[in-house]
Amino acid sequence: MNKVRTHKAPFVTSKLRVSGVMLDVIIALLPLVFFSYLAHGKYSMMVIGTAVGSALITDWLVPWFFLKKPNSPLDGSAIITATLMAFTLSPYTPLYMVAFGGAMAVLFGKTLWGGVGKNRFNPALVGREFMVAFFPVVMTSASVWTAGTYTVVRGLHPFSVFGQGEIINYLNSIFYNTNGALGEYSIVFLALAGIYLIVRRRIGWQIPTGLLVTFFALSLWFEDSISNYSIAGVLLGAIFMATDMPSSPNSNSGKLFYGIMIGAVAIICLAGGVKHEYMSYSILILNGFSTKINEIFIPRTWGRKTDVPLRIKQTVLLVLQIITVSMAVLGLNYYGYIHYLVFVYLAYMIFNFHFFTQKKLQDPI
Amino acid sequence: MFMKIPSLKSVTKKLPITELESTDVFYIPLQAYFGTMKPLVTVGQKVQQYLPLAEGKDGSRIHAPVSGEILELNYLINENPHLVLQNDFANTTYIDQELESATELTDKIRLAGISGSGGAGFPTHIKYKTNAIDTLIVNGVECEPYLTADYALMYDEAGEILKAAQASAQYFGAKNIVIGLEKQNKELVKIFESHSELMHGVSFKLLPNTYPQGGELQLIKAVIGREIPKGSIPADEGVVVSNVATLLAVYKALELHRPNIDRVVTVSGEAAKHYGNFRVKIGTPIEYVLKKAGVDAQNVDVVLGGPMMGKIVTDLKQPISKTSGGLLSFKKSAVKENNCIQCSYCADACPQHLMPMQFASAKFDHDKQKFIQFNVLDCIECGACQYICPSNVPLMQSISEGKSLLKSLQNSVPV
Repeated sequence: MNKVRTHKAPFVTSKLRVSGVMLDVIIALLPLVFFSYLAHGKYSMMVIGTAVGSALITDWLVPWFFLKKPNSPLDGSAIITATLMAFTLSPYTPLYMVAFGGAMAVLFGKTLWGGVGKNRFNPALVGREFMVAFFPVVMTSASVWTAGTYTVVRGLHPFSVFGQGEIINYLNSIFYNTNGALGEYSIVFLALAGIYLIVRRRIGWQIPTGLLVTFFALSLWFEDSISNYSIAGVLLGAIFMATDMPSSPNSNSGKLFYGIMIGAVAIICLAGGVKHEYMSYSILILNGFSTKINEIFIPRTWGRKTDVPLRIKQTVLLVLQIITVSMAVLGLNYYGYIHYLVFVYLAYMIFNFHFFTQKKLQDPI
Repeated sequence: MFMKIPSLKSVTKKLPITELESTDVFYIPLQAYFGTMKPLVTVGQKVQQYLPLAEGKDGSRIHAPVSGEILELNYLINENPHLVLQNDFANTTYIDQELESATELTDKIRLAGISGSGGAGFPTHIKYKTNAIDTLIVNGVECEPYLTADYALMYDEAGEILKAAQASAQYFGAKNIVIGLEKQNKELVKIFESHSELMHGVSFKLLPNTYPQGGELQLIKAVIGREIPKGSIPADEGVVVSNVATLLAVYKALELHRPNIDRVVTVSGEAAKHYGNFRVKIGTPIEYVLKKAGVDAQNVDVVLGGPMMGKIVTDLKQPISKTSGGLLSFKKSAVKENNCIQCSYCADACPQHLMPMQFASAKFDHDKQKFIQFNVLDCIECGACQYICPSNVPLMQSISEGKSLLKSLQNSVPV
């Protein structure tokens, strides 16, 4: 934007800028990048580096053509988007696919919405789903996960100083293990990253708490009917993906509702046979409802009363809508048509940009 | 709510109140809460200090700060009318028999020209016309950064303030007087308590140093524990809130039979080279105050009021009014606007629990309905959202646009 406004009250402002917010997220991501290096060394670094490089180049080049204004790709948002997308991938994902994903995450996840802050869906997950839709064979096969076995450090045992036994082994495994996607190697540091971001007020506690409590409570309840899930993957989604500021609701009650519903929809997806994409689907589905949640979960204005029966009625209707959409997604997934959803999104984004977004590029919101 | 704004008060907090000598030409503002006041004097008339110069429909008055001659009756500064008074430095004073002989407190207050010193300048005699008051809240919470005028008053004239508070409480039949102070100023408690003979029924409420604790609605909640919506009348809840500077004016009317012709103004700000708390006569042009205080007004933005809610001064002839608590200077700076990233910090900072980012999106979408849906009229324009916004989204501008939009709707649609 960089528009200049005549000086009006307030005449003092906080020193916090967008880049400061982004920097805190990057700080929270760094230990996880380090663990991904410990786990799969140069393979991890190549995937993350390719994603970040591709996203930065896209974020720098594309706004020149589409937004007719220079962009500052170094505001940190492209780096975060690309790293988070890479965190959902196998370290042995072919690099051309990673580059494609990083570019799509920025182009269809952010730029075509009008730039940073205006996206309605989590751009990292958009990038991931583009990869799944365009390279379904590789992305959904088990072989991409077992393509290599290279590890720098096979295991870390920091808790072994306290003795031995099953609990100690478990603690060691949540501190560090080499299985799963790139961001999933340390549950302890995922949790610490979440605490750091909450303490620094970069994310609200409501989304991860609502999401995790709902998810794990329901997973115990429906233990028999859901397939395996990755605790680290759920944490990654709860802390970094669902809390993406532009695509999540604004009010505290709205955030709590949103977190709870993501947890519930993720369980529905698992029960409906969605294998790897349950967190992506649940977050993207709820992203689509964020605007609606903002309109319903308005904080109670000072001294005024909330219309409780109306709020309940609206909430129930909203839950029904969310479940309906989730069922529709499950249906598409079951029949193998989910990639058409990505194609529809792609077409919609171009249409929306051409007729609407383009006209509002100079507006800050 | 997590917002702590640096108080920036330390530069002037411990400075005693300095009397500012009178200027030679005064611009007496005729704009009052209920419209423009009508002059009681004519051009060329010689006036003595304390003579009533103008009166409003509601009986509000403004008095001659010095003796001298009336030069003009309708001098416009920023389209607002002012009386121009040439000081003759003769220091002759007018004795207002009506004011001296008035027995009713509200009459005395009206004749002394007292209006709220804290915010909107609501006429105090109308605020005091009430019954069934349980608690008088003395607002000593000066939460705007930089401002220390009220602090200096409490430090220097706690006894006078207490006397006026007791007289007011007695008039209302209020049993309790609660003095609201910020925690960072808790040393004032001892100063008040040293006037033990005036302390009956008086208690203190220490409030966190967060902005905007001094807002009337937030202060009432802190004292009586009830949230009352914007636009409601505190007296209906059994409370009256009075600012310390207003109470000092009440004291002067009551004990000295003297009208309200001056107030304390904090001169400060990041671009100010000199600082202080000055007692300034109402009607003194800002340029004179700055000159006397040693502040160079060239190439800076001069702000009348606090840094959060104050207004930029476009004409340095503009006078100090009864509500001007601060005169601040800031470096001229351009604000860089970036995209809203939906961080929700504005909603977290809002004392009224609104969602300011929605007002910005209503503005850019030209969506009237959205302004209504998100209760723009409940905004108290404290500026907290704008302060915290990491992207400098024009939130305050959106809010004032939204409010005037809704006002124009109200006026055009017959109810």
